[in-house]
Amino acid sequence: MSNPFNTWDAESRREFMLRTAKATLGVSVLSQADKIMAAAEAAPAGKGGKAKAVIYLYMAGGMSHIDTWDPKTGETKGAKDPISTKGDMKLGGYMTEMAKQADKITVVRSMSSKTGVHEAGTYVMKTGYEPRGTIVHPSIGSWAQHFLGKVSKTLPSSVTIGGGGGPGAGFFPPALAPVPIGDPDRGLQNVKSAANGDAFNKRIALMNEFDSAFKDKFKSSDVKAYNDFYDETLKLLKSEDLKAFDLSQEDTATKEMYGAGQLGRGCLLARRLVQNGVRFVEVVSGGWDMHNYIDDAMSKTGGAMDKAFAALIQDLKRTGLLDSTLVVMGSEFGRTPRINENSGRDHYPKAYSTVFAGGGVKGGYVYGSTNADGTEVADKQVTVQDFVATIGAAMGLPVDKVVFSPSGRPFTVGDKGKVVSDIFA
Amino acid sequence: MKTHKYLLTGISAVALAVMSANAGESRAWTDIQGRKVQAAFIKLDGETIYLQTADGTVYPIPLSRFSAEDQALAKTLKPADDANILAQVPTNATAAQAAQKIDQLVKMGLQRGNLKMAEEYKKTAAEELKAGKQPKPYKPLVENPKCSDEQFVRRVYVDIAGRIPSYEETTAFLKSSSSTKRAELIDKLLDSDGYASATYNYFADMFRIKDKFDGADFVRGLPYTQWLKEQITKNQPWNKIAYEMITANGKVWNNGAAGYLLRDSGMPLDNLANTLTVFLGTDVACAQCHDHPFTDWTQKQFYEMASFFGATTTRLNGKDFANGDPGKKLIDDMVYQIEKVGKDPKQLRNLIGNVIGANRYEVRDRETNSMKLPHDYKYKDASPNDPVAPKLIMWSPKDKENPAYKAVDAELGVKTASTSTSKGAVSKATAAKKAKDAASMAKNSEGLRDTFGKWMVHDQNPRFAMTIANRMWARAFGLGLTQSVKSIDNVDESSNPELLRHLAAEMVRLKFNLKDFMRVVYNTQAYQREATTEDLAMGAPYYFQGPVLRRMSAEQAWDSYMTLVLGEGLDKLKNTQADPYGRAIDMDLEKTTVQTLSSKITALQNLNAEAQKKMGGSLADAGAKPKGSKADDDMMMEDKIVNYDGMKLMRASELEQPAPPGHFLREFGQSERLVGDSNSKAGSVPQVLTLMNGKAQAMLTSKESLIHRTLKTAKDAAEKTEMVFLSILSRHPTLREKDIAKKEIQAHGDEGYSNMIWALINTREFTFLQ
Repeated sequence: MSNPFNTWDAESRREFMLRTAKATLGVSVLSQADKIMAAAEAAPAGKGGKAKAVIYLYMAGGMSHIDTWDPKTGETKGAKDPISTKGDMKLGGYMTEMAKQADKITVVRSMSSKTGVHEAGTYVMKTGYEPRGTIVHPSIGSWAQHFLGKVSKTLPSSVTIGGGGGPGAGFFPPALAPVPIGDPDRGLQNVKSAANGDAFNKRIALMNEFDSAFKDKFKSSDVKAYNDFYDETLKLLKSEDLKAFDLSQEDTATKEMYGAGQLGRGCLLARRLVQNGVRFVEVVSGGWDMHNYIDDAMSKTGGAMDKAFAALIQDLKRTGLLDSTLVVMGSEFGRTPRINENSGRDHYPKAYSTVFAGGGVKGGYVYGSTNADGTEVADKQVTVQDFVATIGAAMGLPVDKVVFSPSGRPFTVGDKGKVVSDIFA
Repeated sequence: MKTHKYLLTGISAVALAVMSANAGESRAWTDIQGRKVQAAFIKLDGETIYLQTADGTVYPIPLSRFSAEDQALAKTLKPADDANILAQVPTNATAAQAAQKIDQLVKMGLQRGNLKMAEEYKKTAAEELKAGKQPKPYKPLVENPKCSDEQFVRRVYVDIAGRIPSYEETTAFLKSSSSTKRAELIDKLLDSDGYASATYNYFADMFRIKDKFDGADFVRGLPYTQWLKEQITKNQPWNKIAYEMITANGKVWNNGAAGYLLRDSGMPLDNLANTLTVFLGTDVACAQCHDHPFTDWTQKQFYEMASFFGATTTRLNGKDFANGDPGKKLIDDMVYQIEKVGKDPKQLRNLIGNVIGANRYEVRDRETNSMKLPHDYKYKDASPNDPVAPKLIMWSPKDKENPAYKAVDAELGVKTASTSTSKGAVSKATAAKKAKDAASMAKNSEGLRDTFGKWMVHDQNPRFAMTIANRMWARAFGLGLTQSVKSIDNVDESSNPELLRHLAAEMVRLKFNLKDFMRVVYNTQAYQREATTEDLAMGAPYYFQGPVLRRMSAEQAWDSYMTLVLGEGLDKLKNTQADPYGRAIDMDLEKTTVQTLSSKITALQNLNAEAQKKMGGSLADAGAKPKGSKADDDMMMEDKIVNYDGMKLMRASELEQPAPPGHFLREFGQSERLVGDSNSKAGSVPQVLTLMNGKAQAMLTSKESLIHRTLKTAKDAAEKTEMVFLSILSRHPTLREKDIAKKEIQAHGDEGYSNMIWALINTREFTFLQ
């Protein structure tokens, strides 16, 4: 097929893409002046834009909304009765520590997603897009780096703790991918060399000597990019910033406050990273796929989450970071209001909850609701796209701005979701 | 002679060198600048004249390049009797002959490029003069010099066998005095196991092959992987492989080719978008959701193509069994049995469900084509949810006459309802017509995939041969003839359209034999030149003055590490999990009893333990024994897989697909296999940390590693240094490097070798392939 479009120069090609995208996709495309307006629109005064950093606590497996943030009293109640809190809301009976912090959180009880499958549900909660076999979408931290740039010369802009894979930088260059940390106690991987200080330096010197002829001959940008990555890495290895990844710098009392589990340790590390300037930290914690004996599972996993989350909020408050740090809790879906034959709950994307704290959101606030038994959204439904766009807006990202992938397809932060500005103080 | 420089040089040089027998038929052709060349007229094809020089080579040259008289003459001349054959490579040409033809086309492309660039230069030079600047003289692009044997041996091992050559392999090649040693090495490597492994890695990235299929915990990619490796090993022609994948039926463990559709179970539209991209170089992913904004593809066309798969299911449900889905009853019976022996079924319930569930994943054609337009279809030529009849896309109106289409037209005519599909035609179907269409489609759902498959792999399909030829070319040169191998939008906009068309013709001439095709490509002078040193301007055409400098892929780097710890024996270690897995999980749900189910579950639970039995040994005995030690073979008896700090020491192609997050392979850019062709060659800080301090690095510098053990066989420090350089960089150290090495060893003794190994592995020279 002949495609005259290909013969156009880059500038007219871009122009055309923008125009066509506007015409055929109904997306808003911004002129230079519009951009400034839109940035203001995305983050009107007092409506988002206050979060310099985000800690995204991701509860992998599907967190039961009824047992945590949206308690019920009827048939679907579960093992524990709802409890009163310091905020104007009731919480699930397992949330005893969070009850004391409820005046600092906004609970969104009207989340609704389209997929009840773990992988797809996780993907959309982290990117705002349904998974496709033809493109990978960027995670929120990568979007932030795309718009706001790097946070420091040595530290990564976004970090994922305990997460494994994930969408990463998506169609952005790999340099925008979050740096993964498997075990919070071990910190950043591969920073310890087999050779000690002097020997390591000697190795670097040898490498440079042996490589000099090649580097002289090949001055291509690919080779240069690698030279730069080696320089950056050496800078990081010599930098004080490395301590940001080192939990041994924390005292015992603080460690105990957060709890010894993966989530507690992850939350503590997240606070250290944010304190040192990392912009986006995701902490992934599993154990939420509670098909069997949900009461036991909630006591264990839910209890640890309650402790860690509450500790994080208190600690951020103590260090003066809470106003500029948004803490978000999400999960791929909720769990069935009805208890199943194995005393558990199954996957339930139709209605579930997410939580926001700090970073300019209201305290003691509940947005949206479900019906009496928690099976349906009753009021102010929030889609996953809205949820992701809201996180973007909290950070001041231009969520309406269309960004084109290298393949020429148009994308926005949160797939055109509507920002839930009502939760911002 | 110098005046001939950029125009007809390709011909003139040859023509003047070899004036011989055929000269009688040839005449002097004159170009627009009055330069002459002696050649015989073959044919005029559109705007291209084909001329044959005295040595028998045929060159295509644009008509406009000739003087007015010669242009007029060309239009009156009769084509040579054997014109069409002459313009091609003879059917039984040797690899060397076929390579020569490609080199001529590369040369012509370079000349055309120079003409274009000289034009542009004139413009900028004039502007600079106006601005009072003295423009730099125009430097025409020239072919890179022939690469050295050291460069060649490394490049060809990495490209064909997917790894660097061992010390022995390198020295053997460098020492050989055979005048045809390059061609011999190419032949040897194409016949090696390494070829299959490396080619598999390329396709695994392209096809997004995974061990764990999304959404179905127990349907694994192992049999699909094994099937593909078998096809590559037996050098099954590409058109047969592709046809099998599109038309396969059954469960993945009974027919590995079915893995292609099962990989995307539940997302057939994504699968189709990928099919069009990987097999036909046509990027229509946009049209899945709306009319393509930049090209003429419409959403309706996309659904018409999808309709060829509209009767196909990848997951059976109640309708597909004579008496409904037997799975539910099986689970209940099993749970009852477990409870009867006093055990708690809760823990086993998921497992039972997964085993049964996996047996519902099967490619099968149903009796009804259920393809419908989406519920939010918004164009005027049809209504949402309308049934869609299958229809083939065309790249040009001329395709109507193409035999690939004609061959299937008849079949389609019988099989499908009539369709009116021209863009913009408004025809709201009435309910009655819809019902009729649906009924008609239902009747004609048979063999749709077969029809599509035949058209797709047809010799004359406008894109099929060209797409794979372009991809294979890009594998060798680091760049395809189009900006992206995923999209050949307009052949004429390629950096060398004649070459692209020729490569497609070669693919057909060679009957889609990929090995023979690559043999031709690797034997070209163009491939055997030095890599281009300067940066390529973004989007600027590349004229293949040599291959481009490429970073090793993640698999090539890992397999090169494996060569350093396992030696040449690395290909003995294979992933053998596919068959035991298939045997363990396979059930006929309609005939399975609780007893069978129970034994299946036991077998599945034992799979891991069975796989563990293949593991054993340590780094200290990994790889061939150093020369001179006795009983080489005895020590190698079982070829156990060594586990070094959690890493299985075997080729990337034999490991989990893709490797788990955090593995060296993933850190170095192996694709997550969500999207095709996603292996990354970009760096990052965590990646460099892995290269500096990772487990793989610790393994290589360990005194137990094969490379260290091999050093012990050297007679002195100088020879050891030679060995380290030849083992890692496939070249001798320079005098300066020998000197640095000497000092290092004097200062640090044995540790000095570890330091050198570390340093060399971390050089850009190791990572980038020149």
